[in-house]
Amino acid sequence: MIKDILVCLEGSASTEAATRIAIGIARALSAQMAGLAIIDEPDIRAGAATSIGGASYKQERDDALVADAKKAADDWVALFEQRCRQAGVPARSLEIVGRPAESILTEMEAHHLTVIGRDANFRFETEAHDFRTLNSILHEAMRPVLLVPETTEPELNKTVLVAYDGSGAAKRAITSFAASGIAQGRDIHVATVDDNGVVGMEMAERGVAMLRAANVPAKAHNIVSVLSNIDALFKLAKELDAGLLVMGAFTRSRLRQLFSGSVTRGLVEQTEIPLYLQH
Amino acid sequence: MTTSTPTWAIAPFGLYLLLIATLPLFFGAFWEHNRNKLIVAALISAPVLIYLFSGGVGGGEVLLRTGVDYVSFIALLGALFTISGGIHLRGSLSGSSGANTGFLAIGAVLGSLIGTTGASVLLIRPLLRANERREYTTHIVVFFIFIVSNAAGLLTPLGDPPLFLGFLRGVPFTWTLRLAAPWALVNGVLLTLFTIFDRVILAREQRHPRRRSSTSPRGTSPVEPLHLDGAINLLWLLGIVVVVFVMGTYGTALFGDSYLRSVVQILGMVACAVLSLVTTKREIHLANRFSWAPIIEVAVVFVGVFVTMIPALSFLGERGASLGVTKPWQFFWASGALSSVLDNAPTYLTFASLAVGVTNSGGANLSVENLGALASHPTGQHLLAAVSCGAVFMGAITYIGNGPNFIVKSIAEQHHVRMPSFFGYTLWSFAILVPLFGIVSHIFF
Repeated sequence: MIKDILVCLEGSASTEAATRIAIGIARALSAQMAGLAIIDEPDIRAGAATSIGGASYKQERDDALVADAKKAADDWVALFEQRCRQAGVPARSLEIVGRPAESILTEMEAHHLTVIGRDANFRFETEAHDFRTLNSILHEAMRPVLLVPETTEPELNKTVLVAYDGSGAAKRAITSFAASGIAQGRDIHVATVDDNGVVGMEMAERGVAMLRAANVPAKAHNIVSVLSNIDALFKLAKELDAGLLVMGAFTRSRLRQLFSGSVTRGLVEQTEIPLYLQH
Repeated sequence: MTTSTPTWAIAPFGLYLLLIATLPLFFGAFWEHNRNKLIVAALISAPVLIYLFSGGVGGGEVLLRTGVDYVSFIALLGALFTISGGIHLRGSLSGSSGANTGFLAIGAVLGSLIGTTGASVLLIRPLLRANERREYTTHIVVFFIFIVSNAAGLLTPLGDPPLFLGFLRGVPFTWTLRLAAPWALVNGVLLTLFTIFDRVILAREQRHPRRRSSTSPRGTSPVEPLHLDGAINLLWLLGIVVVVFVMGTYGTALFGDSYLRSVVQILGMVACAVLSLVTTKREIHLANRFSWAPIIEVAVVFVGVFVTMIPALSFLGERGASLGVTKPWQFFWASGALSSVLDNAPTYLTFASLAVGVTNSGGANLSVENLGALASHPTGQHLLAAVSCGAVFMGAITYIGNGPNFIVKSIAEQHHVRMPSFFGYTLWSFAILVPLFGIVSHIFF
């Protein structure tokens, strides 16, 4: 059962949605929350090609950006604490100076679930977008991550779709999801995507069996479709009116992803509902 | 004393320029301290000093001459830096496309009068304040770097350090005015392109206003009329122009001895700088965040440049013709390409010396110590024009090609402008500047 939720704080609309969803889960499970704000000083002060005479200007710029990042972190932490107080959820906050991916991965070890806005930019002082941080977390995290896009409804709804492909990550995702407490009282559907209907259905039934062993009832589906795996899953999620998609993250090696693409990356980029991911 | 410069003697120059470009990137904490910069300069310069004092080409005399040039160079940069640091443009404009273009046009002229660094530092903050309500301002800063920080500085020796180095070595003060046509073409095209860019982007912003996230805070300074504080410094600036022009044009007739002429010039510039410090209110220096750190850094780094370039320039003067660069358009692109990744001041001297070598191979008897003769030679003057344009214009191609580029980038980022990365900016410059320089090369060289 989830008792400690980490929310990674920054200023995007998806992080706002993530905080909202995390508060909802914390209230339902009587969990406590921790808000983590990161001041990415290493990247701000990283060496850069400078012109002659530019070193002092770089230092001035670095000092200004670090001060700005610190102020932003203070504001986000204050807002997070206020929202938790208003919701009646026990919470504490942390401000860490360090590289975002490393800081989050270290802090995640101490929490049952980490909630992140899908479009969060933890390196906002130096980059317009921050795919690198999320990529590192999803590839290396040992604990589950709940990724929340901006378009998420205020509360997680009743229906959950579990994408199951039989991989180690998918099994870990089902196991941790079943134990999390989020599954209680929800309609769970396990789906595979396989042109061989019989094989696909058998796979889906194995997923259902894993959930049933944890006292979580579920239904099996196999999708046979001309659409890509990503589009097929989204189509089914829409048909079921699913409010959460559970899956193993990055089940293929990076080399295979290089050549044949990544379902996880596609789902992360296109999803309009939260993703529960476990590597 | 030897009569031919050995090949190994040019290695310290090349190595030093490479270290200047790479040490801030890979050993930023080390390079941050001026003491460490001085140590690197001293270590790299040591073999050259030993060579010169052991009977190398030019010997102690060329070292003394170079020392005087160095002091003149730093005196000018320091004086312009001090005087422009005493001028503060308070208030803001409207941030309309017309106002932005006008601002850049003023910068295009000012750059040649107070130096591209002075013009950049003076104008960038008011321009950023004028546009702080805009969603997209990256293009404004990029074009500012193209125009005010680089192309603007072509018309006088005060405009860009390489041109002042040429002036110190005998190029007449008014010689660069003959480059008015390429100056006008480049700045005119860039201003036109900017106007189009800015209008398109402004129209898009007005059609689709975006909600800003709290990770992009922007100030909302009250709109107040523009006001120039520290206007007395315009007088001291005129003083610098008079000192440099008079010494350059009449100095020999007035003082004869070139060392005395240089000393009078240095004292004149220092006097203008001191007058600026004395007559400028402290509040103006605070508003400009004035500090001696940048000019101290320049002085420290250029010690190594001036010493190590002595044998390198001598080598190029002797054997330049054999290196395959002989036509004006080749000089334009070669000096430009190197200026884009190395500081454009030593690059200018490198290729000016190469031009001396090429001109000498055609029967002339010019010296790398006297670029004035090159500037008046029938073929040499075209090579020098190409080098001048290449070194000044193409300093805009990367953030490290010219001093003010990185300064403007840093100031813009403090104002929360999302500036491109090193390679992102280079894509901008390749897309816009390289085709334009192709036209310049075709028309003029």
